[in-house]
Amino acid sequence: MRPPGWLRLPSVLLVTAALTVWVVPGSAAAYLTPPPAVPLLPPCHPSASSLRPTGPPRVTPGSFMEQIRDRGRLIAGVSEYTYPFGFFNPLQRKPEGFDIDIVHAIAKAIFGNPNKVEFKAISDLQRLPEVQSGGVDIVAHTMTILCQRLYYVDFSSVYFNAGAQVLVPKNSLAKGLADLGGQKVCATAGSDSIAHINAARSHPIPFPVMNFTDCLMLLQQRDVAAISTDNNILDGLAAQDPWTKVVGSPFTSEPYGLAISQQHPGFVRFVNAVLQQMRTDGQWADDYRDWVGHSVPAPPRARYKD
Amino acid sequence: MSSPGAPSCDNYSPRSLSGYELDHYAGRIRAVVIQLAGEEWGGQDARVMPSTAGRAGTAVTAVSDVPRHALPAVRRSVRATTTPAKLRLLLIGLVSLCLVWGAVAAWVVSQRASGANDVASTSETLSLDGQQIYRALSDADATAASAFLSGGLEPINGPPSYQADIAQAAVHLERATAAAGHSPAAADLATLSAGLPVYTGEVQTARADNRLGLPLGAAYLREASVLVRGKLLPAARNISAEANVRLAAASGRATGLPLALVLLVAAVIVGFALYSAQRWLGRRTHRRLNRGLVVASVAGLVSLLWLGIALGMARADLLQARTHGSTPVAALAQADIAAQQARADESLTLIDAQGNDSFQADFVTVQHRLGPGPGTLLTDAVTAARGSPAAGPAAAAASTATDWYGAHRTVRSLDNNGRHKQAILLVTRPGPRHSFTLFTRLDRLLASAIDADQAVFNRHAVAGSNAFIGLEVGVIVLALIMAAGCARGLTTRLAEYR
Repeated sequence: MRPPGWLRLPSVLLVTAALTVWVVPGSAAAYLTPPPAVPLLPPCHPSASSLRPTGPPRVTPGSFMEQIRDRGRLIAGVSEYTYPFGFFNPLQRKPEGFDIDIVHAIAKAIFGNPNKVEFKAISDLQRLPEVQSGGVDIVAHTMTILCQRLYYVDFSSVYFNAGAQVLVPKNSLAKGLADLGGQKVCATAGSDSIAHINAARSHPIPFPVMNFTDCLMLLQQRDVAAISTDNNILDGLAAQDPWTKVVGSPFTSEPYGLAISQQHPGFVRFVNAVLQQMRTDGQWADDYRDWVGHSVPAPPRARYKD
Repeated sequence: MSSPGAPSCDNYSPRSLSGYELDHYAGRIRAVVIQLAGEEWGGQDARVMPSTAGRAGTAVTAVSDVPRHALPAVRRSVRATTTPAKLRLLLIGLVSLCLVWGAVAAWVVSQRASGANDVASTSETLSLDGQQIYRALSDADATAASAFLSGGLEPINGPPSYQADIAQAAVHLERATAAAGHSPAAADLATLSAGLPVYTGEVQTARADNRLGLPLGAAYLREASVLVRGKLLPAARNISAEANVRLAAASGRATGLPLALVLLVAAVIVGFALYSAQRWLGRRTHRRLNRGLVVASVAGLVSLLWLGIALGMARADLLQARTHGSTPVAALAQADIAAQQARADESLTLIDAQGNDSFQADFVTVQHRLGPGPGTLLTDAVTAARGSPAAGPAAAAASTATDWYGAHRTVRSLDNNGRHKQAILLVTRPGPRHSFTLFTRLDRLLASAIDADQAVFNRHAVAGSNAFIGLEVGVIVLALIMAAGCARGLTTRLAEYR
């Protein structure tokens, strides 16, 4: 059913506006505008920006991990809408996905029980503020390690490598952003995908929304011409709508990391130790097979700034 | 008929009156006709009678005290000098008076009837339908949200389901559209008519996606919820608010006293004119009764009685419809709408799981507005419903609301302590002291209270507007009978002078 135009566009704007108010609690709405320009970025290698683990994961006395253990649960900021990385499964009534399983592995390393986690559904926009404010212990939310983000938070070692592509309806002739000049291309507010759309030479119109499922809904209602973001997210959207296709080849490199407050370097090392364990004992490959695809590549090699 | 000693009609000569007396009476009658206001004729009659009797049977040429040539020409032409002329004037005056009476009465009746009709069929329908649309859509929103909580499927013993809500909204939308005509509500109704299928389309897509386990469903559900909360509910609220303003005006028109006062004054004038005319005629002709004027008087009395009974009954019914119908229904609907909003907030605190407390904050705000407690919606509704069939359910609803708040606190404390699943269970599954069960009870009590008082309203509003059936036509016909009676009665007398 195609709603009449006058009803549709306002409601789309309302989605954007209302979700801003709804999903982003109070003060976080302020983060709709990008953080102020970073005055002087320290030398940065996104893929090699994390801290080296000090052996296998161990909860040392007085550490942040011990505080978490005393609290009784790990608080993780995740996505509810990014299939298959972090999504709320309406049938199981719980969050699931590749990112979620990594959080479970960290909980298991702290508590010996993978389920001692409180998942806090956050939007892309809330990722940095939630980590900075201590609202969550860790963010596992398809988050690309970027130099401007490293200015505000720490990241774990790379646990997944993605690259931006474009999703269009099956009957679209577009092969990439180059063919989408002057047309609306959707991505989430607060993602670097919006910046990529903005920077495209063909000048597509960036259309920011709250979650990527909102993008798919708008694409189904033909309110946007395409969605552009990391290919793994696009694959997840295409899995929910077989009448869409991912076109072109990856035009960016997006190394994913888990975001942790800069106040807890010990926790960063601890998480890196867990990731290292997952890479070597086959857990990472299992996780990949469960959520991403059957042909499992080698896990991203961990590089540290020490 | 004739008094003893008085001459019979046949040999009674019209010339037996002095010109002065005739002049005097003609002037009197003219004054009555023109001013539509009676003066005391009785004293004049009493003074005139002996002279009339004394001259019975004698043919005397009328001699005027005032020389006729001395009168201004205009005055001479208006002033009747002979009894036939006076009778002719009386005839014109009374017939005009009867017709004017008929017009005034019919106008008053039509004003009242259209007011009553507006109350029964337009304004109140729009107001109630607007409330019912709001209720149904708000409940649909809450149901859809809690259906998502329970995994895309609705609880088996759920509250009035989403489908029932939509059907109800559609029924009331259709009725309101039929009643609205060209009222200002038409634009809001158009918004609802266009938006309802879009909303149901989005919810159905959300449900289909939820059934496939796709997270996309939640996006559609949110979009649908934004459409309802942002566009459809405000439109429904506008319809009610606008109709309530018109309802007050229509109710005032149907029950207000000034119009009745106009009618009463007109009736007194006509009654007095008829009475005085008969009295004068009786004295002049020595007949107690004039058949035509008696018919006119009876017709006037009948129309007055009919008017009095119909207007009185309609007024009583319409006031009853307001005090035990629309007023408590409006208060109850307000409370129900607030309860629905709080319920949606409760569901959304659990869906979002964002750790933010904006929905909880809204719940608490609405809870304070809803009550029970002095000045709250529930307490106001209980007060308004006192003495009506809704009194019982309304009072029960107020105490159920308190229980529900207790259950809600349990839900929040479970959710805040990481026991999300148990919290969801309390909100989506029936059970003793479950938020689900208590809210369902609250909602049903309010709905049954609204139904009960709406039935009261409908009964009285229909009775109130039925009281006017045939009245306008009846009053006009009776006024014509009165005019015809006057004409007949006076022309018979006039014929006697030929």
